[in-house]
Amino acid sequence: MPVSSVRVGEGARGARFPFPFLKGKNAADAGPGSGLVRRWIGVVPFFLFALAFMVLPAATLLVGSFQDGHGHFTLVNLAHLARPGILRSYLLTVEVSLVTALLGGLFGFLLAWAVTLGGMPRGVRGFLVTFSGVASNFAGVPLAFAFIATLGRVGLITVLLKSIFGISLYDHGFNLYSFWGLSFTYLYFQLPLMVLIITPALDGMKREWREASENLGARGTRYWREVALPILLPSLLSSVVLLFGNAFGAYATAYALTGGFINLIPIQIGAQIRGDVLHDPNLGYALALGMVIIMTLTILGYAALQRRASRFTKP
Amino acid sequence: MKKLSIAILCAALLAGSALVATAAPALLMQAPANFNDLVKAAQKEGQLTVIALPHDWVNYGEAIETFAKKYGIKINELNPDGGSGDEIEAIKANKGNKGPQAPDVIDVGLSFGPDAKAAGLLSPYKVKTWNTIPDAVKDAQGYWYGDYYGALAFEVNLDMVKTPPLDWADLLQPAFKGQVALAGDPRTANQAIMAIGAAALGNGGSFDNPKAGLDFFDKLNKAGNFVPLIAVPGTVDSGETPITMRWDYNALSNRDKTDGNPNIGVIIPASGVVAGVYVQAISAYAPHPNAARLWMEFLYSDEGQIIWLKGYGHPVRYADLAARGVIPADVASKMPPAAAYTKAVFPTLDQQATLKKFIADNWDSTVNVNVVAKQ
Amino acid sequence: MTAGLAVRTAERPVSRRKAWSALWLSLGGLYFFLPLLATFLFSLRGKKGVLSFVAYAHVFRDPQFLKTFTFSLEMAVATIVAGLALMIPTALWVNLRLPRVRPVIEVFALMPFVIPPIVLVFGLIRMYSQPPFALVTSPVLLVAGYVVLSFPYIFRAVDAGLRAIDLKVLTEASQSLGARWGTTLFRVVLPNIRAALLSAAFLTFSIVVGELTLAVMLAWPAFGPYMALVGRDLAYEPAALAVISFLLTWGSLLVIQLASRGFREQGPTAGGVH
Repeated sequence: MPVSSVRVGEGARGARFPFPFLKGKNAADAGPGSGLVRRWIGVVPFFLFALAFMVLPAATLLVGSFQDGHGHFTLVNLAHLARPGILRSYLLTVEVSLVTALLGGLFGFLLAWAVTLGGMPRGVRGFLVTFSGVASNFAGVPLAFAFIATLGRVGLITVLLKSIFGISLYDHGFNLYSFWGLSFTYLYFQLPLMVLIITPALDGMKREWREASENLGARGTRYWREVALPILLPSLLSSVVLLFGNAFGAYATAYALTGGFINLIPIQIGAQIRGDVLHDPNLGYALALGMVIIMTLTILGYAALQRRASRFTKP
Repeated sequence: MKKLSIAILCAALLAGSALVATAAPALLMQAPANFNDLVKAAQKEGQLTVIALPHDWVNYGEAIETFAKKYGIKINELNPDGGSGDEIEAIKANKGNKGPQAPDVIDVGLSFGPDAKAAGLLSPYKVKTWNTIPDAVKDAQGYWYGDYYGALAFEVNLDMVKTPPLDWADLLQPAFKGQVALAGDPRTANQAIMAIGAAALGNGGSFDNPKAGLDFFDKLNKAGNFVPLIAVPGTVDSGETPITMRWDYNALSNRDKTDGNPNIGVIIPASGVVAGVYVQAISAYAPHPNAARLWMEFLYSDEGQIIWLKGYGHPVRYADLAARGVIPADVASKMPPAAAYTKAVFPTLDQQATLKKFIADNWDSTVNVNVVAKQ
Repeated sequence: MTAGLAVRTAERPVSRRKAWSALWLSLGGLYFFLPLLATFLFSLRGKKGVLSFVAYAHVFRDPQFLKTFTFSLEMAVATIVAGLALMIPTALWVNLRLPRVRPVIEVFALMPFVIPPIVLVFGLIRMYSQPPFALVTSPVLLVAGYVVLSFPYIFRAVDAGLRAIDLKVLTEASQSLGARWGTTLFRVVLPNIRAALLSAAFLTFSIVVGELTLAVMLAWPAFGPYMALVGRDLAYEPAALAVISFLLTWGSLLVIQLASRGFREQGPTAGGVH
């Protein structure tokens, strides 16, 4: 151990950071330039990486959406976004995302409420949280297989309903490979995500508030309407917004479930990457641009609501 | 017209077997003239990218494994679900890309060959056995060349469908509600396009007038019998799409693979029997052109052709192989009886082009199923 | 009197509340459990007429299963190593030296959400398919893509871990005992955030192993595309793969849970790529 590096008795003020390149202005041997380098060097690799493999690739797409096949500036790709087929696609994707965000938000909230404020035994909460972690990480392809095995034309539930209750799901118009079928499948990762996000907010609901409002005469629904929901609303909304974005960008589940035979924007982009029959890569870039815009709006909404919600969330 | 097509093909096949490869293969474009040099050049490239070749499609699985092992060349397999249209588009989408997303070779329906050649997407090459390939199914300049053929059959999951359909009209019966699917997207997949053509034939239409085919599927859809899913072996076996129309070689391989669980029936329809040829081609933008040529040499060698035969496909050099007596007896005995092919119609290039265009223009408006609608 | 009233009125809602809770949990349990059961039962139908594990045997015997799973495993390890190598210094700097950079990092950490995998891979192919940066032929691009997908989770886990341990005191104590930066990092700081590191590692593992979008578009023989292919070719094996996949994910999360026991801060476990 080099004796010279030991400064006995120096406290916080004169302490030399063990990471020499983290030294700031007070470093004895650092000039102004090298100090700056040392201050930032730890984060530079990350920024370079993010630039090279995230920001710039996205930027080339966005730039490409304003170009035609020869690289000249044009707005025609954006105009093509207004084609009925494409608009229908965006609409369908928005609808699926909205439906799964709202339903996932609602039922996720109810589940989270059940294990936090609902008086259930402690073990149930632990199990729900762990399971939610698993379910929200369940990859798209096996998830699609699972739902085909459950609600496909020869799925377990379909067959059971027919053999035990005589109800033929598919004859009544149900179809797993459709809007509602896909949404139902998406819920499998939306619900758990909601549970995981909203649980801290529910933890932050102090018992004293409920007791205080009951002492003041507001019980049950009135408590919820006038005390609890207003407090929870920012968290709820921000979570629903996050769920919306999560569904909007999903590709693997839709692909594995329908074989790419469903008119969602991620599927369209995937087809463009492979070379769609109506081959036009610049249109693909425009599709991606539209998607990024929608996701940016989503994340801005989420951030704004999160800031309001953070007042009440347990840290 | 039907009889003429069959006659031409039979004559060509017979003639091919009598030809002697005397013509000097002087048109081997830019390839090493020497086979060994070709092997070395291909091995130096080290990789081959193929597309839309499911392993159970005329035994491509064995072809791929044998080739990879024989020459030590790694094979990248793209998009096994792809149809012929997807293969063409993949070439277009990856023109400047030398990575493994760009296909080196394609295997597409007959009508897709000339289109791709006209679009400048192909690079010509004539294999050593070029002269034993019938003229009717190859491009004179070597841009595309027929590889195998078969007839369209009904592939039926017999465990789920007790009384299988025997003809096109049968498919409309209420017993088959929610059970009939196409084995591809009719706007891009040759198999699906030909199925619609066959339906036209079986319903009073013809390849020159394919409207009857689309109308048939419209009726099928309205009756609730049509399932808007792309049928693949997995969905036939599991019962999601218990009835579909596929090439007999595919259906027969699936029957072998499932080995009774479930029982698969392969039924050539009583009317509207269509036979189709597929063609091989090398991409003009192939990142590994020598590996691509070596692959072609392999496929058109006796070894390669017999691998296809094992997959129940009739390889184009069938007549030549038979004449030289190199077909193993056990393989020959498993092939479907020749009787099934007597009624088969081989649509010409023009007829297929007409059919393809008609379907691409009218499928969405006649049989509106692609956009999966809200319930 | 009022107190008594308050007690009695409070009792009724509690039991009613419990009833509702039980109802929602039961419904939720049904929704989550039935697909798993159905998948398992479907996977047992490999042999006609009997329940058997032959579909599983078929899967494990398939050389492609091992090949693709190993490949995805290697990619996961590479992603974990690269991700940690990238994010540990970043988190250290943010916590020790540049707290003002934190919001910037947070913004960057939201970008993989704004740029979903399907868009990301499109951009990566467009940008890196031609010389001089022809990276599409190299697995480096796939790993880079995976790092982009997982670095938000890695950063949050490592950051949460560092924030929980009084980093400044630890590092100063270590330094005042004469340790150089390498020793401090590897023998003082990192061991104290073991749980966070494990959490980051297993979450990344979960994301990478089943991932489809990047792997299939960049044409790599990974586990996700293999599963999709099996779904095309076979009837019962896909269900078996789904069960295997689920058990793997469950196992990873359990490891994270066990590792995090006793530590205050637990990294985020939500997420996954769909």
